[in-house]
Amino acid sequence: MLRHTAALLAGVSTLGLAGAAIAQDLPQANDSYFTSAAADLEEILARQPIEGQARNIILFVGDGMSIPTTTAARILEGQDRGVDGESNSLAVDTFPYVALSRTYGNDAQVSDSAPTATAMVSGVKTNAGIIGLNGSVAYQDCAAAAGNEVKTIFEMAEEAGWETGIISTARIVHATPAAAYAHTADRNWESSAPEGCRDIAAQLIEWPFGDGFEVVLGGGRNYFMPNTMADPEDEGRTGNRQDGRDLTAEWTSIGNDHVFIWNAEQFAALDLSAGQSILGLFEGSHMEYEADREGDTGGEPSLAEMTAAAIERLLQSENGFVLMVEGGRIDHAHHAGNAARALYDTIAFNAAIQTALDMTSREDTLIVVTADHSHSMTINGYPDRGNPILGVVREGGEVVLAADGKPFTTLSYANGPGGVFPALADGQTEAEGAAPRQDLTDVDTTDIDYLQQALVPIGSETHTGDDVAIYAWGPWAHLFSGTVEQNLIYHVMSYASGLGRE
Amino acid sequence: MPSRRDFLLLSAAAGLTFAVRPSFAAETRLAFNDLYEREAQLSALTEALTGQPVVMTGFMAPPLKAEASFFVLTKTPLAVCPFCETEAQWPDDIVLVLTRGIITAVPFNVPIVARGVLDTGFEIDPETGFVSLIRIEDATFARA
Repeated sequence: MLRHTAALLAGVSTLGLAGAAIAQDLPQANDSYFTSAAADLEEILARQPIEGQARNIILFVGDGMSIPTTTAARILEGQDRGVDGESNSLAVDTFPYVALSRTYGNDAQVSDSAPTATAMVSGVKTNAGIIGLNGSVAYQDCAAAAGNEVKTIFEMAEEAGWETGIISTARIVHATPAAAYAHTADRNWESSAPEGCRDIAAQLIEWPFGDGFEVVLGGGRNYFMPNTMADPEDEGRTGNRQDGRDLTAEWTSIGNDHVFIWNAEQFAALDLSAGQSILGLFEGSHMEYEADREGDTGGEPSLAEMTAAAIERLLQSENGFVLMVEGGRIDHAHHAGNAARALYDTIAFNAAIQTALDMTSREDTLIVVTADHSHSMTINGYPDRGNPILGVVREGGEVVLAADGKPFTTLSYANGPGGVFPALADGQTEAEGAAPRQDLTDVDTTDIDYLQQALVPIGSETHTGDDVAIYAWGPWAHLFSGTVEQNLIYHVMSYASGLGRE
Repeated sequence: MPSRRDFLLLSAAAGLTFAVRPSFAAETRLAFNDLYEREAQLSALTEALTGQPVVMTGFMAPPLKAEASFFVLTKTPLAVCPFCETEAQWPDDIVLVLTRGIITAVPFNVPIVARGVLDTGFEIDPETGFVSLIRIEDATFARA
């Protein structure tokens, strides 16, 4: 009872002093952590929600960009610049509003990119492997697709006379960008589909909304080329379409304002003020990882460069634009159990976000940054402040040994190719005895090709079901608050822009 | 009669899955990172070692079939069979290893050492259609 009264009194007392200055006699009043966070509070107090209509919407999707991925990338980016990594800030760290996104699907506890991207751009959760169709359609049920399509915010934008763009470092027919325009019972029908259904690449070229995309930049060139046509970049490679169609030629035949490019030189030569509709496919399949981009034969623009070109082109729209920018290969590097490439692709993704912040106005452009699902990488041990994020755990400068007497890395995976137990070889039916964990004493775990150790051996490290972050900036960004369903992202974009509303 | 598993375990214990030629002075250790100048452009070292005995460490990608006398050596573990999966996203810097005899598959996440004579140049295997730029021929391999 006494304690209750005291608490009440304390509450009254705090209430009475709300907004007052910090007591200067607090012993920590001059501690730099204390003053820095106090300054952050002032900034938050000064924050004003922006409630005008969003003229433009940019949806950034870091595929598989789990919260630990963002944390580790923030540390790595700082350490590479020679500054403190832990307190470093990426562009997303400057966003004023953040929510947590529940990423489960209609039929799955842990989702893949198809239903999650559908949720973000259409407002409904659906089944694993399905793009742009509602949850009544079973995976691969081609016949069930008709009549169960959902409409995407890109389609609404085109119908409203806005301009649209999609960018990805993955194939542009891969699940996340495909969710902007495709409606298919199987995300893998990228260049061919069963009788009665259309493949994803064909759906992109034949997209019947408005005047179609103004900007399409990414990988996946071979999915648009017949299998009889030699790839312009890679010797020995051809297109993979079996129907003989050259969709790049079909794109340019739409009109004189439709251009197709496939290398960095052509990208640099683009006239972004000429009102062109640009199809840029820089790789036969996915574009290079950021860490490998420099060595690419035909040359590739960075994700930030593609974002800058897209925004420059789309800002000429009379009405507004909707743009998706996917950092598509954060996910792929995680699947490979290769944290370094995942983090460098996250840093490149962050540079693209910064580009968008620099080129647009916070008053009229809603920028949403999120991930579609998570991955099993963790940041673990008790490493010293400043310990290299790709290194082994050190405490007090000394390498920490696990209970097996061996060092371990700060970053590790729950499963994947780095599994410490031998996989079954082809033809083997019984597992080999567990080998001792590799001793990392003389291993350079910061090497770009190093695969972090994992517990369970699986050929491809898996997605995970933990919530991901939604970071928001611009008109109505403050609606992102609390723990929300992933499909709320569509609803906020719709509310802020008026698209899909009467 | 020892089972296949026993054989594998015995081989592993002996550090061998295949007869390995003893290393000799002329054999050069070649690392994946040293293979290329840039994508599809061989390094000067790779060019210089063409026709010479080399040794490389990597991983065995899952073989195309039983009774094969070749496999793909990869820099990092690769769980998919690069011959089988037309859409497989496998790295540019792979090495085709043509062995002296039928191979015994090694789990994809167990490091191996391959030795043989380096061969380079664009080639399409007439049987499998597999495209390769770097090969180790007359090869043997063992667990690392």
